[in-house]
Amino acid sequence: MFRSPRLYLTKVFIQIFLRNRQYIFFSLLLPIVILGIVGLNDGESNPIEIGLVDNSSSVISENFITKLSANHLFNIVESDEETLRKELIKGDLMLILVIPEDMESHDQTTNIKLLVDKSQIQFIESIKPILNQALLNIEREITKEEAMFDLTIEDVKSRSQNYLDFLLPGIMAFMLMNLSIAGSGFNVVEFRRKGILKRLFVTPIKPIDFVSAIVVARMIIVLGQLTAIFGFALLILDAHIIGSIMHLYLVIIIGILMFLTLGFSIGSLAKTQESVGILASIFIYPQLVMSGVFFPLETLPEYIQPIAKILPLTLVADAMRSIASDGLTLFQTYLDLVGIGIWAVIGTLVSTKLFVWKEVAG
Amino acid sequence: MIINASNLVKRYKDPDDKSKSFNAVDRISLSIGAGEIYGILGPNGAGKTTTLEMLEGLKDIDEGSAFINTIDVKQDPYKVKEIIGVQLQANEFFDNMNLVELLRLFTALYKKTNDPVNLLKKVNLVEKAKANTNELSGGQKQRFSIACALVNDPLILFLDEPTTGLDPQAKRSLWNLILDLNKSGMTIVLTTHNMEEAEHLCHRIAIMDYGKLIAEDSPNNLILKHAPNKVREPVQGNMEDVFIALTGHGLRD
Repeated sequence: MFRSPRLYLTKVFIQIFLRNRQYIFFSLLLPIVILGIVGLNDGESNPIEIGLVDNSSSVISENFITKLSANHLFNIVESDEETLRKELIKGDLMLILVIPEDMESHDQTTNIKLLVDKSQIQFIESIKPILNQALLNIEREITKEEAMFDLTIEDVKSRSQNYLDFLLPGIMAFMLMNLSIAGSGFNVVEFRRKGILKRLFVTPIKPIDFVSAIVVARMIIVLGQLTAIFGFALLILDAHIIGSIMHLYLVIIIGILMFLTLGFSIGSLAKTQESVGILASIFIYPQLVMSGVFFPLETLPEYIQPIAKILPLTLVADAMRSIASDGLTLFQTYLDLVGIGIWAVIGTLVSTKLFVWKEVAG
Repeated sequence: MIINASNLVKRYKDPDDKSKSFNAVDRISLSIGAGEIYGILGPNGAGKTTTLEMLEGLKDIDEGSAFINTIDVKQDPYKVKEIIGVQLQANEFFDNMNLVELLRLFTALYKKTNDPVNLLKKVNLVEKAKANTNELSGGQKQRFSIACALVNDPLILFLDEPTTGLDPQAKRSLWNLILDLNKSGMTIVLTTHNMEEAEHLCHRIAIMDYGKLIAEDSPNNLILKHAPNKVREPVQGNMEDVFIALTGHGLRD
């Protein structure tokens, strides 16, 4: 077995990887920790800590406070403004409601002051509607007015999914990117620097033998790593996959291929080990923020969104999420797949153009 | 002639002025017979390594031609690589693999079979069979590097500065290895900075400078021609003899 140089080289690359226990351990640690933190959370969202200053002490304000306290979304801490402000700054409170002295009449609109920490603005924007709704309900109860509308939210996708299920495909996509880039770009630069590439190419193997060996070896390694993470999420954390696992793996395989070619491009661009690290960071970190893996794309500024939508990680994460969470088939994600294909072609062109095989000597 | 190269040129861009180019190897012609030990001497940057790498099919030949055992290097570099063994200046290998595994790998790359232990015996490294290359000393690394170059039973062995950085014991042991290989019929082409090495090993020597071949002959003829009046055999030994006398001939690693 393994008589062909290509297969033998593939075997050796896998062997080298398997012997690097430390690398295996740490490459799995990060995603497992992230998934563990999310997955072991009981799924109940913590009540929002709200400070309350009652300057009025009227019947209305007391009524208001009782109603607000009854809402399980909020945890009300009553105190004077001075103390609460300190707690807000410390981060123990999300916001402070200040009820003015004149909250005693039904006839006039009472202006409730909201004190916030501006750095939490994103979060506050998202809970403001909830707060507004709560206030409105309380008002109705107090004024005994019947609501004209009521809103029942029904999930059209009607699935039993939690945050972990949302996060899992994204984390897998992110891992897939990291591991593929590290496995191609870094390897090539390291082999070139040490003169190993040159040593290999004084034997009759062809560049295509080397590249295909490294691609196949990395494919097997990354699939193994992802399967470990996947198994952990499904078996230990009880995550759910709606769509076909086979389709999910096909996306993963195509995604690994794309990131390997992009990794080769980075490895070909970089002259030294230091610059490959920086180039890889430039490639990886903006995508971490802009790909919708951890934060929804909608939170990004308008002008970035079109770019964010065509980033390699966005495409892979989107295709994986469509299958894993929304139960789409591989073919329904064709737009993502076309995008991934285009990136793979770009990666192949850049790396073959820049990587001058004859001059592997450097 | 097992190696026939004529008017080899390797052109590089001038690092100071990108619009200009210079010839790192400038119309070099070499004819090396089967069974010869042929040395290429010259200062750093003279073009020795580049010349070897063109003959080995590692670097493109910009002008001229080279034939190894009648195979055209330009046309068939992969066929040439099948019949040559190459030891490079840098001799790092994959981490986490021992000597036997590395030799098996290199043998497989030639689609051949060769007993790794036998190869290690040739270079006197059997006891290190299960060691990784980073556990080897400089001399052992060089010997292992030569073992790797022998996996395909090559007709021609190319050695690029094989003894640079070695202590006298390791150097002499390597000389003996090279002479043994040559006795078994292998043609050897080596580059060196060590004049004693060139004189001791080589049947013929080429001296290169600024990419050009400036002299080529047997060591003896070169001395007669270019340095006839110097005392050839000093009455007393030199510092290296002192070192060897005090520390012994035995190989240290």
